[in-house]
Amino acid sequence: MNVKKFWIPVVFIILAIFPPFFLSQYWLHVMIISLFYVMMASSWNLIAGFTGQVSFAHAAFSGIGAYVSGMLAVYLGLSPWLGILVGMGVAALLGLGLGYLCIRMGGIYLSLTTLGFSEILRIIITNEDRWTRGTMGLQVPGFFTEYSKASYYYLFLIIAILLLIVIYWIIHSEMGLTFRAVLNDELAASSSGINTIQVRILAFTISSAMAGLAGGLYGHYLMLITPDIPSLGQMFLVLAMAVIGGMGSFVGPILGSFLLEILSEYIRIYGEYHVLIFGLVALSVARFAPEGVIGILGKKWESVWAR
Amino acid sequence: MRRLMVLVTMAAVLGMVSMAWAADIIKIGVVGPRTGPAAATGKAFEEGIAIALDHLNAKGGVLGKQVEVVFEDTGGVPEKAASAFEKLATRDKVPIVVGESHSSSALAEIEVANRYKVPFIICEAWHDDITKKNYKWVFRAGPVNSGVVDFYIAPFVKDNGFKKVAIVRENSDWGVGIAERTETNMKNFGIPFTTLKVERESKDFYTELTKIKAENPDIILAYIYGTGLHFFVSQANEVGLSPKCLILDGAGPPSLWDTFWKNVGKAGELELFMSSMHEKVHLTPTSRKFWDDYKKKYGKDPTDYKTRSIYNVVLIAADAIHRAKSTENEAIVAALEKTNLEVTTGIVKFGLKQGSYEYHQWMPPMLVVQWQDQKQVVVYPKDAATGSLKK
Amino acid sequence: MSEFLMYLTNGIVMGVIHAISAIGVSLIVGIMKVVNFAHGELYIFAGYFSYHLSISLGVPPLLAMPLSVFFIFLVGIGMERTLIRPTYGDEMYSLIITFVLSIVLQNAALLIFGPYPNKPPNLISGATNIFGLYHYGNQRLLSFFISIGILVFIFYLIKKTWFGKSIRAVSQDRGMASLVGVDHYRVNMLSFGLGAALAGTAGVVIAPIFPVTPTGSSAISLTAFVVVVLGGMGSLKGCVVGGLILGMMENLGAAYISTMYRQIFGFIILILVLVFRPWGLFGQKTQ
Repeated sequence: MNVKKFWIPVVFIILAIFPPFFLSQYWLHVMIISLFYVMMASSWNLIAGFTGQVSFAHAAFSGIGAYVSGMLAVYLGLSPWLGILVGMGVAALLGLGLGYLCIRMGGIYLSLTTLGFSEILRIIITNEDRWTRGTMGLQVPGFFTEYSKASYYYLFLIIAILLLIVIYWIIHSEMGLTFRAVLNDELAASSSGINTIQVRILAFTISSAMAGLAGGLYGHYLMLITPDIPSLGQMFLVLAMAVIGGMGSFVGPILGSFLLEILSEYIRIYGEYHVLIFGLVALSVARFAPEGVIGILGKKWESVWAR
Repeated sequence: MRRLMVLVTMAAVLGMVSMAWAADIIKIGVVGPRTGPAAATGKAFEEGIAIALDHLNAKGGVLGKQVEVVFEDTGGVPEKAASAFEKLATRDKVPIVVGESHSSSALAEIEVANRYKVPFIICEAWHDDITKKNYKWVFRAGPVNSGVVDFYIAPFVKDNGFKKVAIVRENSDWGVGIAERTETNMKNFGIPFTTLKVERESKDFYTELTKIKAENPDIILAYIYGTGLHFFVSQANEVGLSPKCLILDGAGPPSLWDTFWKNVGKAGELELFMSSMHEKVHLTPTSRKFWDDYKKKYGKDPTDYKTRSIYNVVLIAADAIHRAKSTENEAIVAALEKTNLEVTTGIVKFGLKQGSYEYHQWMPPMLVVQWQDQKQVVVYPKDAATGSLKK
Repeated sequence: MSEFLMYLTNGIVMGVIHAISAIGVSLIVGIMKVVNFAHGELYIFAGYFSYHLSISLGVPPLLAMPLSVFFIFLVGIGMERTLIRPTYGDEMYSLIITFVLSIVLQNAALLIFGPYPNKPPNLISGATNIFGLYHYGNQRLLSFFISIGILVFIFYLIKKTWFGKSIRAVSQDRGMASLVGVDHYRVNMLSFGLGAALAGTAGVVIAPIFPVTPTGSSAISLTAFVVVVLGGMGSLKGCVVGGLILGMMENLGAAYISTMYRQIFGFIILILVLVFRPWGLFGQKTQ
């Protein structure tokens, strides 16, 4: 790792310490939500961008993390700090199971199975209102006894950075090389002795666990967990952020999350048009610049960053 | 790179534009669904707000300032609603927020209102807990589930001598809450009932209706909102259940949408629905004025009573600011507690006794209306009735 | 007993309705290996067109229906040319494009047509008393028979005509097809158009029973996917059987297990089929 590559993230992390000192409560809220989407889009990108599997269950896994942690806190009084870890574990287990079932089929089959899984989850959560409080949403305790945006900001920041380090490490480790080998040429990869199925299942499990953790954090920040967390609408946002930022690149989804979340604050004034504008932006990027904003900004910068 | 520059410039311009309107304006925040499955309510709200603002600003506004509204979309989703409320409180710094039509969203919003100490008047979210939590900042000038059931739906069923009741409820916060309250009431009256839970997004109710038919009820209390109600009413007629067995739409607006008759055809005849508005029932002069203003602006009669509910709460908010002589939160709450204002549905006075849902609650009188020859006939309560119930 | 027969009848009728709603997806998957997420939106748009042509413009309903379908056919051709063509050979890319497109069209529909449910006029009203056992809506029966007619027509088109043969040639071997003089770009464009037109056909045939709303579109796509996976991707016969199985499951499930969970049955079968028989009941085992 050369010095220049080491510097850029460090500078960003240091800069990230300051927002609570000058941002208003409202913009701090926007930053926290953006960090949640950074976790979601980056971990989704780990399977979609790096192994070429479009999963529609990512929002569902964040919902699992949120509901497990939230229900443990409400019914058993478990501390959210432990709860989010349990939630992450459950999401990882279900991710392993679902990955095991559908990874070997790949492609369209994986997408449709994950879609089915996410709908089943949504229906169960909506109907079992005795436990989940249905569409009313489950009110859960927060992490801190004293509500403070700054504390949440730092919590989200630290965990987002940790997840990003893990993701960065994975894609630059031997495993990451295997991912790309799988993406680029499945035949070559399997003939060179790489077990492509196992690698993909592993990636799917890790990515689901991360979504579970992100969902748990999100739920305890909002202090309200509803069936909208594991919904297809939420899935669309995550997907749009990764696509607009640039799939298959490390920085892309991070950039995409901030870009879209901040952009959405400005286009809110267009009321009912805002989802449409969102979609049109995502559609034109996907069609005309499949490598996303990162691709537009130039490969040179990317090579400094991620190679 | 140039594209990025354009984006940044656009963002900056937008930012400045939104900061430009300030100073001599009082901004009232509104929350409600403008997208998502209940976007129709957003439309109704927009119309009601426009008429209320015309009315207020023609009189010179409030505290000598023009009144404007910032309408944040909730999409009908609780966490978006909480976020929307948070934005109104922290970004727009509005002195008061009104609106909402989803209980789930409202329950999320009142937590934010309580945290930022922003007065909040709810108009169309019916769940008991909203006012039962007894938050100082939260008011409701609109129906509450228990009130609607205890004072209207249940007595209507009893007084008209219905013998067997079928409760059909969707799996939403509203459906669950209102169905439970109805069950309690039916038990107390000793009227046999059966409850069927249905999916909110169902289109085909033939199987459900066949099950109900086997129970042989003489009235169905349909707690289904939106498109689902149109499906339900027309299919109930097809399978031969109605009009022998009457259907009461527990919410109301879907039975009044322009598309109701087109969608249900003859099956709409004799259907009943809850409402707080009727062209012949004008409880106050304001009601008459609202009706005329609406007709002048939109060239038709108002249909969705939520238009009028939002109109009411905007007037209540403006009145409170006017009497508080400030936009300071404590002063506004103090003024709200002393509200004695005529709106379209009566004289608003909020309950002040803590301990139940009646705290900070004012419920407008409701009506049970029946479609007879495609005309709305008020059939309950007796003193407001414009005709008698047809079975 | 009469109740059970009612559930059964409705299961069959809804099954055929599911099949006709899904056949466009099945066709496009079979020929182009593209899952069209925007299927439900095309269906909704056709329903609204047919409504506005007949109610707002006064076109007779029987003319408004084919006109709307033709319009959706053109939309489909346009979609293929601008959005789908660059994605050939990349399943993931086409999936993302059509998914985003579905969100765009859904919100466009909300702005253009408004949030209220709408439907074209019924061609026939009232209900028929079937064998003195139960009542069944006439429009529903009519749509059922029209759907059967359309399904038969599609089978004929694919199995017996030149167009059908070139479609099958392209779907089996692209290189070979172009050798024998079939322009696969044109075939792809036409088959996507046909798939879209079938979504539109379902829309205009079913909208008189179930009014359309902008937000109702994703449920239509999801049901179509269940049907297509169940029968086997690309198998038209499978699509019909898949539709019937789903229709039965939903109605008997709602009748005897739980009305609240009627939508879950389809997704559970979806996952079971994918796990145990991913090529579906009638698809070809290729993997």
